[in-house]
Amino acid sequence: MKRIPNEEDCDFCPAFPAKECLSDNVVPLSQFKPGEKGVVFQACGDSELRLRLMEMGFVRGSEVKVVKHAPLKDPLEFVIRGYHVSLRKEEAAHILMEKPHGRFDEVT
Amino acid sequence: MAKRLNIALAGNPNSGKTTLFNAITGARQHTGNWPGVTVEKKEGVVQFNGHQMNLVDLPGTYSLTAYSLEERLVRQFIVEDRPDVVVNVVDAANIDRNLYLTTQLLEMGIRVIIALNMTDVAEKQGVMINARKLSRLLGVPVMPTNGKKGAGIDDLLGGALELAQTDPPSDENRPIRYAKDVERECAAIESEIHLLPEAYQGLPKRWIAVKLLENDEEITKGVQGQPRSESLLGQVRESRHRLRDRFGDKPEFILTNARYSFISKIIEQSVRRTMDDRATVSESIDKVLTHRLFGPVILMTALYLVYLFTFQGSEPLVNAVERGFSRIGDLAAAVIPPGPLQSLVVSGVIDGVGGVLGFTPLIAFMFLAITFLEDTGYMARIAFMLDRILHAFGLHGASMLALMVSGGIAGGCAVPGIMATRTMREPKERLLTILVAPLMNCGAKLPIYALLIGAFFPGNKALMMLALTVISWAMALLAAKVIRWTILSGPDAPFILELPPYRVPTVRGLITNTWDRTWMYMKKAGTVILTISIILWAMMNFPSLPEDEERQFVAREDRITSAFLSDPSVARVFKSQGDIIRFNAAFRQLEDANGQNPEGRKPIFDAVATAIDDASGMADGEGNRVEASLDKVAEAYFAYTDQIMALNGERRSVQLKNTVGGQLGLALETVFRPIGFDWKTCVALVGGFAAKEVVVSTLGTAYSLADVDPEAADSLSERLQKEPGWNPVLAFSMIMFVMLYSPCFCTLVMIKKETGRWQWVVFAMVYTTALAYAAALAVRGIGVLLGAEIS
Repeated sequence: MKRIPNEEDCDFCPAFPAKECLSDNVVPLSQFKPGEKGVVFQACGDSELRLRLMEMGFVRGSEVKVVKHAPLKDPLEFVIRGYHVSLRKEEAAHILMEKPHGRFDEVT
Repeated sequence: MAKRLNIALAGNPNSGKTTLFNAITGARQHTGNWPGVTVEKKEGVVQFNGHQMNLVDLPGTYSLTAYSLEERLVRQFIVEDRPDVVVNVVDAANIDRNLYLTTQLLEMGIRVIIALNMTDVAEKQGVMINARKLSRLLGVPVMPTNGKKGAGIDDLLGGALELAQTDPPSDENRPIRYAKDVERECAAIESEIHLLPEAYQGLPKRWIAVKLLENDEEITKGVQGQPRSESLLGQVRESRHRLRDRFGDKPEFILTNARYSFISKIIEQSVRRTMDDRATVSESIDKVLTHRLFGPVILMTALYLVYLFTFQGSEPLVNAVERGFSRIGDLAAAVIPPGPLQSLVVSGVIDGVGGVLGFTPLIAFMFLAITFLEDTGYMARIAFMLDRILHAFGLHGASMLALMVSGGIAGGCAVPGIMATRTMREPKERLLTILVAPLMNCGAKLPIYALLIGAFFPGNKALMMLALTVISWAMALLAAKVIRWTILSGPDAPFILELPPYRVPTVRGLITNTWDRTWMYMKKAGTVILTISIILWAMMNFPSLPEDEERQFVAREDRITSAFLSDPSVARVFKSQGDIIRFNAAFRQLEDANGQNPEGRKPIFDAVATAIDDASGMADGEGNRVEASLDKVAEAYFAYTDQIMALNGERRSVQLKNTVGGQLGLALETVFRPIGFDWKTCVALVGGFAAKEVVVSTLGTAYSLADVDPEAADSLSERLQKEPGWNPVLAFSMIMFVMLYSPCFCTLVMIKKETGRWQWVVFAMVYTTALAYAAALAVRGIGVLLGAEIS
C-alpha cells in the first residue's frame, strides 16, 4: 500500500506533513477537535518518538478520543486504551489517523 | 530451608507499585540512589514463612526499551542482579498499556508474577478482569492485590516463594508468538549466538535475538567484539532487511505492533467491560481542575498554597531550630574563652550545623507538599497546563514547581527548589531547570533588596519589589532560552505525559516519601555544606590582625576607658574596669529582655544603676538628688560605649580587610570598578557566596558599623545614603548583581548532587556571575544615559 511511509521518510520526516502518506484518508491527530474520536493509522517521526508513541499504545487500530486542550490550547489531552495522556500538538501531528467516513460525524 | 529471596518490583508509573512496596515492607525499608544517578532506589526486607525476602522497588517505566534512564536501570538490574522473581505490578484499571511492560518482561525469560493491583477501582469503572484466565493466557501467576488496603500481599508473597522454587520459564512455553517470518528470523539469529558476553550469560538466547532484531543499542554493543560476532551481526542485518521488505517497516515497530495485538487478544478473552465511555469521578474532577478559566486560577492558588505551606508552615520549626542553635552557641561561648577557638566553634561549626539543619524543616515541608501533589495526580495537570508557556523557553511544564519554590514568589529558596526537580523525568529539561532556578528571588536576597530600596527608593517599595519579581522571572526564562539554544541544544524530549486518575494519597506513602527525601538531603548535602561553611568562615576571619595593629587598638581602647574612669562625676557608679564589665553585663541582660532601642537605653541604665546602688548600700534616701546625678553618669556612660563601639567597628573593618575574603574583595575592586563597587561591596558579595543573607551583615562590618541585624539594618541604610559614591543607580546595580550572581554554595552543592557533575556547578557559577556583571553594568550605563549623577 502506497500510504505506508517508508522508513527513510519516517526517520527524518523532512517534508512532514506535506507527504503522500497524508493524502485522502489520513489526517494527523493534531487536527482533531475536543470530543472527536478516531482510529490510529500510523505513528510517524524519528525512531525514538515513534517507538515511544507506539509503546504508549498509539499503534494501528487503537481508538483515540480528544478530551480537551490545555487552557493555552497546547498541549492536548487524549484517551487511548482506557487511560489519559497528554501530547503537544507537535507530537500529535506525528500520529496519523484514519479518516472516519463522513469525517467526524459521531463524537461526544 | 531458609533461603534469601531477591524480589524486584517492576511496573508502570502510577500503577501503585510504590504503595504496594510500602504495604509489603512497612518500616523495614530504606531509600538510596541508584549508583551514579539521582533516581531513587528503595529497598526493603520482609520475613515470610521463615524466608527472608529482599525487595527492590524498581523505577516505574512504561517499557524496557532502554531509551530513558529509568528503563536502562530496570533492564540493567534484571540482567545483572538476576532477581529470583520479578513482581510485575499491573494497574487493573489501565490494564492494556500496563501489559506492554509485561510482554517485555515475559520475553526476558525470567520468573514473573503479576500483582493485579487496584481491581476495586477497575470494577468501579466497569472493568472486570478474570484473573485465572489472564494467568493462563500469560503463563504466569496473577495475584489480585490492593496496595492501599494491604490486601492480597500474603498470596502474592506465597506465589513468589512458590515460583522461585520452579525453573525459569522455558522457551517452548512462551506465550507471545510473532508472525511466522519474524519467528523464523529470530531463530536464524539465535542459531548464530554462540558466545555471550558475561553480563548476558544465562539469559535466554531468544531474548538476545529479539533485542538484536530490534536494533537495541545496548545489546548490539554488548555482542560486538565477542568471538564470531561478525557473522552474528551480519545475520541481524540480513534479517532486519528481509523483514523490512516483507512488512514495509523496521522490526522494532513491527514487534511493538505485534505485542499490542497480543495484548488485545488477551484482553478480549479475559477482560469484560461494562459502562463504556461513562465519565469517571476522576474525569469529572478534571473538568473543573483543568477548566479553561478555573484551571489556571486553581493552579495559581495551589502553587501559592504550596509556597505558603513550605515557607510559612515550616517557619516555627525553622525558628525553633535556629533558636536552639543560637542557645547552643551562647552556651559554647560561655564555656570557651573568647578567641579563635570560640569563633571556630560558635561561628564555624555550630552556625554551620545550624545552617544545614535549619533547612531541614523547609525541605521536609516542601517534599510533603510535592509528594501530595504527585500522589493525588495533580502534578501532571500542573505540567499539562503550564507546558505551553515554559516549553516556549525550552523548559517543561513540570519546571514550574521548582521555579516557584526557588523564589518565583519572592522569598523561596533554591536548595529545596533544585530538589523539587526530582519530579521531572526529562533529563535535559530537568538540568535546564536546575541551572536557572537560582536566578529567582530567594528569601536571602530580600534583606539586601529591603536595605537598598529603603535607602534609595523609599517611595516605591511595593512597586520595586514587583519589578524585581518580574525581572528575575524574565532573566530566568531568558537564560533558559539561551542555554537551550547553545550548550543544551538539540531536539526536545518528546512530551508524552500520562494524566493519571486522581487518587487519595495514603498517609504512609506521604510520610515515607517525605522522610526518605529529607533524610537524603541531610545525609548527602549536610556533610558537604558543613565542611564548606567552615572553610568560608575561616576565609572571613583569617588571617587575624597583625599583633602590632591589634596592640594599637587595645591601647586606644585603654585610653578611652581611663579617660572615662578619670571623670570624677562617674565615680559614683564606675570606679574600676571591673565595674564597667559588671555593669555592661547587667545592662545587656536587661536590654535583651526588653528589646533593643535607643530610647529604652536610659530607663535600663537607671534600673541597673539603682540596683547597683542598692546592692552596695549607697542609697542615701534622697532619691531626687541621686536621680539628678545619675543622669550625668548615664550621659557619660553612653558617650563612652558609643566610642567603644565605633572603635570596635573600625577594628572589625580593618580586620575584615586583612582576611582572605577581604583581600579577595580588595582584588575584585579593580574588576568591579566599571560598575562602581568598592572593596567593601566586593567583600560583602564574597561573603554572600556563603549565604546571601550574609551580604548585609558583611557590608555593615566593612562600613565599620557595630553588629548589623539584617532584618532591621536602619543604621546601615542611613550610612549608605550619606556615603559618597552610593546613589540610586549604584544601588540598583547592586540589586541586579545580587539577584543574578553566583548561587550560594549550598545551592551549588545541591546542583552537584542533583546533576552529578562538577562541570555544571562551575557553569552555574560562571554564567550567573557573568550575567550579573552584564546586568549591573547595563544599569549603570542606562543610568548615565538618563543623566544620573554618578560620582
